[in-house]
Amino acid sequence: MRGFVAVFKREMLGLWVTPLAWIVTAVFLTLQGWSFYTLVEYYAKFTTVSVDQGPLQAYFVSPFIVMSLMMICPALSMRLFAEERRSGTIEALLTAPVSAVGVVFGKYAAVLATYGLMWLPTLAYPIILRNTGHVDWPVVASSYLGIFGIGASYLSIGMFMSAMTRSQLIALVLTIMVLFGTFILGLGEFIFDEGPLRDMCTHISVRGQLGDFAKGIIDLRRVVLDATAIGLPLFMTVRVVDSWRFG
Amino acid sequence: MIEVKNLYKDYGTVVAVHDVSFEVKAGEVVGFLGPNGAGKSTTLRMLAGFLGATSGEIRINGFDIVEDAMSARKSIGYMPEMCPLYGEMRVGEYLRFRSELKGVPRRDRKSDVDTAMTDARVSHMSETRIQHLSKGYRQRVGLADALIGRPPLLILDEPTAGLDPNQIREVRRLIRGLAGKHTVLVSTHILSEVETTCDRAVIIDKGRTVASGTIDQLRTERRTLGAVLRLHDPVDTLAAVLDSAGGLSSWSQTITTELGVELSANETSPYSRVSVEYAPSPLPTQDVLEQIVKALVASGVGVREATETKASLEDVFAQLTRDTGGGPTESQPATVVDDSEEAST
Repeated sequence: MRGFVAVFKREMLGLWVTPLAWIVTAVFLTLQGWSFYTLVEYYAKFTTVSVDQGPLQAYFVSPFIVMSLMMICPALSMRLFAEERRSGTIEALLTAPVSAVGVVFGKYAAVLATYGLMWLPTLAYPIILRNTGHVDWPVVASSYLGIFGIGASYLSIGMFMSAMTRSQLIALVLTIMVLFGTFILGLGEFIFDEGPLRDMCTHISVRGQLGDFAKGIIDLRRVVLDATAIGLPLFMTVRVVDSWRFG
Repeated sequence: MIEVKNLYKDYGTVVAVHDVSFEVKAGEVVGFLGPNGAGKSTTLRMLAGFLGATSGEIRINGFDIVEDAMSARKSIGYMPEMCPLYGEMRVGEYLRFRSELKGVPRRDRKSDVDTAMTDARVSHMSETRIQHLSKGYRQRVGLADALIGRPPLLILDEPTAGLDPNQIREVRRLIRGLAGKHTVLVSTHILSEVETTCDRAVIIDKGRTVASGTIDQLRTERRTLGAVLRLHDPVDTLAAVLDSAGGLSSWSQTITTELGVELSANETSPYSRVSVEYAPSPLPTQDVLEQIVKALVASGVGVREATETKASLEDVFAQLTRDTGGGPTESQPATVVDDSEEAST
């Protein structure tokens, strides 16, 4: 893990000194705020629907979140390696006494932290709701866990794609394609008949995951799936970085 | 400090480096010389541990670049070609990042960065964003970066590329100033750079080493082209004398006065300056001058001075890089650019 801290700090600086993280965060928070506002409005008007779920649950399962994550995570991760390879700074980085693991994890930790910072202001939503009603905090925590898992796996996949190309745009498009692909697979839940195929699609489904976690259900299978979707691309990225050096 | 043995790099379709071996001893400033595309950068990248070699062995400061990669890389301050830097960072910020990355202990970082900035003369730019720097300053920041952590070995890939003549002189001066404190391997395609800054040169072409030695050794490889004579007597007798001197199958003469003005045939002047160009001769060239002087003295012409004119290192370089390899590119002269050409690009 040599170089982890230095790479993490530089990456954070690179993200927040340039407009990228600010723009992404601003767009993200505007959309989320709008989504939350309309949901609260809706539940305030039709009190009968709030019997089995409140606006918070509805907020966390809204397809809006999945859609915005599929755009925002790739935008955050696209530059991680592609930019360094295009500009050549990767040469200075890798000739320093750092390990591939340190570089990859440092970069990943930085986008993950940025992702966390992006979500941080949304904590205001349950706090606002607490003034008018009851908030089930453990469920809020599990909802955030679900969102964290999805974001972390998206960012990991995005970083791997960024290591595969020198073009940020190609990294972005490739990542969105992969993420959209998994989303479409999840829709198989509504297409296939009862059977293993449908079960598989149900378990892959990002919406399914958000739904479960928003209800406070932490399914180990989903946790394992997320861990795999985080760990495998990370591992492959480390191998790719090593391969530049010893190709 | 550097030991390179039988280094090969095969890019699949192109063999970029073909059996390169050389050694750099501690304290030396060595020029790594070759025309563009000779495999200089590829070799340096392999030395710096950025590229893996197809085969061969590299030891830096006694550490194998593959087995002891961390120790080897810690011993190197590497400045990549074109000097890529993070544009959004400030100079001081960037150098502090590099010192952390290179594992400089926290308490030494500030002083280390400050010394590097002073040595590379960028201290006054420490708060400037790198993207706002001129090419010359970026190059200096790259040099400061290489100096971070006080590595015993500096590998600089074309540090003067793309600079104006003043900046080139400045960077050379910086490199020269580093000699003694560091071992330096500096790549370039400019010969005069090696002459002014280096003790020794390794010349490669088409991925092979074609020559290596001290600058003086390389100079002795220069072919003697002719001689300049300062004579007391009128020069119109010279033709007859030279014809009588043995070993000169043909020669040409330009006659100039000491002021460098050409002399027409009927004009005569004492202390004439005559330059003689040798034709390819079977005699060793030092014997030719001896013969000429002997013949002149025997015929009563006063010789005040006799100096051999040698081929410039550029010619040696062109000759060396033309002789190797083969194939259709052989006839193309090697690209050797001197200062004046470089400045105009």
